[in-house]
Amino acid sequence: MRGRAVSNVIVDAREVGRSFAMPAGPVHAVRDVTLQIRAGDHIAVRGPSGCGKSTLLHMLGVVDAPSSGTLLFDGQDVSRLSDARRSALRLRRIGFIFQRFFLLPMLTAAENVELPLSEAGASRRDRQERTKVLLDYVGLAARADHRPSQLSGGEMQRVAIARALANNPQLLLADEPTGELDEATGAQIAALLDRVNADGTALVIVTHDSTLAGRAARVLMMRDGRIEREATR
Amino acid sequence: MNAVGFAWRSLVRQPARAILGVLGVAAVGALLLDMLLLSQGLIVSMRDLLDRSGWDIRVSVREIPGRGGRVSDASETAARIAALPSVKATLIVRIANARIEREGGPPIAATFEGVSGRSNKGAPITPPWTVLRGRDARGANEVVVDAAIAKAANLDVGGTITLRASCVADLEALPPARLQVTGIAEFPFAGTNEEGIGGSLDALKAACGGNVGDEADLLLVTSTGESRETAEAIRPVAPGLFAMTNDEVVGRLQQTGFTYFRQISAVLTTVTVSFAVLLISVLLTVSVNQRLGEIAALRALGFSRSRVVKDVLSESALIVGLGGLISLPLGLLLASGLDRILKAMPGIPAELHFFVFEGSALAVHIGLLAATAIVAALYPMRIVSTLPIAATLRDEVIG
Repeated sequence: MRGRAVSNVIVDAREVGRSFAMPAGPVHAVRDVTLQIRAGDHIAVRGPSGCGKSTLLHMLGVVDAPSSGTLLFDGQDVSRLSDARRSALRLRRIGFIFQRFFLLPMLTAAENVELPLSEAGASRRDRQERTKVLLDYVGLAARADHRPSQLSGGEMQRVAIARALANNPQLLLADEPTGELDEATGAQIAALLDRVNADGTALVIVTHDSTLAGRAARVLMMRDGRIEREATR
Repeated sequence: MNAVGFAWRSLVRQPARAILGVLGVAAVGALLLDMLLLSQGLIVSMRDLLDRSGWDIRVSVREIPGRGGRVSDASETAARIAALPSVKATLIVRIANARIEREGGPPIAATFEGVSGRSNKGAPITPPWTVLRGRDARGANEVVVDAAIAKAANLDVGGTITLRASCVADLEALPPARLQVTGIAEFPFAGTNEEGIGGSLDALKAACGGNVGDEADLLLVTSTGESRETAEAIRPVAPGLFAMTNDEVVGRLQQTGFTYFRQISAVLTTVTVSFAVLLISVLLTVSVNQRLGEIAALRALGFSRSRVVKDVLSESALIVGLGGLISLPLGLLLASGLDRILKAMPGIPAELHFFVFEGSALAVHIGLLAATAIVAALYPMRIVSTLPIAATLRDEVIG
């Protein structure tokens, strides 16, 4: 789908931390994480529930800001960006896949895929062409006019992947993308994500699924908000 | 897909909520339109009625509106007024209660208007009625009657009526007068259930047995130019009398009797608009709260804060806009029914309307509904604009 220089650092997280104020005192969800994500990376983040995986993913995806440390996206310190600039960054450079898909039920599969293109200001013709290509890419060209309620879980996640890829992002973030799917469907989604990564998009997956994590080139094991160890394949 | 298209899909997604909102706004909008029409309707209608009468100054012993008292030495006063260079014509109007006798039924109560005009410059003299059929009454034994009397007394043009008029006191016993009906007329200032007879002052005198005196309930004046200046000129030649232009009469009505309707209208407008704001705000807030996960996901995908705010505002505008469109025919229909009910009150001229459609009322209606759409959307817009994306996504997964 894309071709970028492999050595390019997309995300440079330097000792980032994220804490939440709670009545009983601050909770440190992520502590001093240092991490670089390069173009073409395939990273899985694993760890027990509540260890800070999703919080780290949200910071990498610029939907949440670190409480400490510095996070650079393409060399830009995201903490210095306005909300509008961060939105624009997410729209054009980052894709998100969610465990619960979050497709809009009143829109067809094609319309769901078109949404980020429309928000990015693409022309009607460009939107339609790109949507067609993307639905074809995820194997759902024949289901373009179906609403989410008419699709299976696996198909919904495929549409969500197509939507995440709409604006040709550098980085695709997936939070438990197979969490709501059976094993066989999860394997199909994993294969699709492998293909997305092979086509040049950096991929970070938060997962409990060891099979899915096993496909990644780098596996980060988290515990108590820290990256406990990193395994490289 | 732009914000409006997106909002439309959101509405269609939850048809029951959308229908509830649209119908609610339609009902509220109809009431709002009626209140706006009511707030100015009487004034507009009265101004129209006065202007259509053809007389632009009214001279009486009291300020209008107000009843009682008569202009004494009416002929001499009218002559002095008519002599003014800025006066085209004058009309003495004398009003008496009358009862038309009819065979096989109770007498018909009516108001007899006797008039006597004086034109200085050949200007036509318009009686305070409009002849619909036949011709106007000229002689001392001629009258015009309204259609209701003609029907009740089984009369037509050329027929005769026997009536007893009471010019001085209700209890006076006078011999009946036989008068010829020369025309069927409309009396715009007569009340809805008030029957009208019109004729010359001589005819009225004849009906009253000559017991009238040189008095007038009202002197009507047509000016050659600016009515306000003519009214100023009349005051010195008619001392102790009030000379009021149509504008001044309308102004007085605005300050006195019609204020009541404006106040009612203002209170009910506030209540209806508040209700609409609450209804739409609750519907949108519930809708937004049900979709927090989706909204957070859209934000994570790069939808800007202003875009999700626009979506909510567009949804509000669509509900209010659709409801507002329906409210127009509904409001006009309701206004027509309410107008009929209010006009049945005694003493209200049949041609006076409480609800009068005006472009300005429609503009205010649209403006208030637009403000409703914005104000109602403020709270749900605040929810989506301050939505913590990461926390919401986390909560959705845990939930």
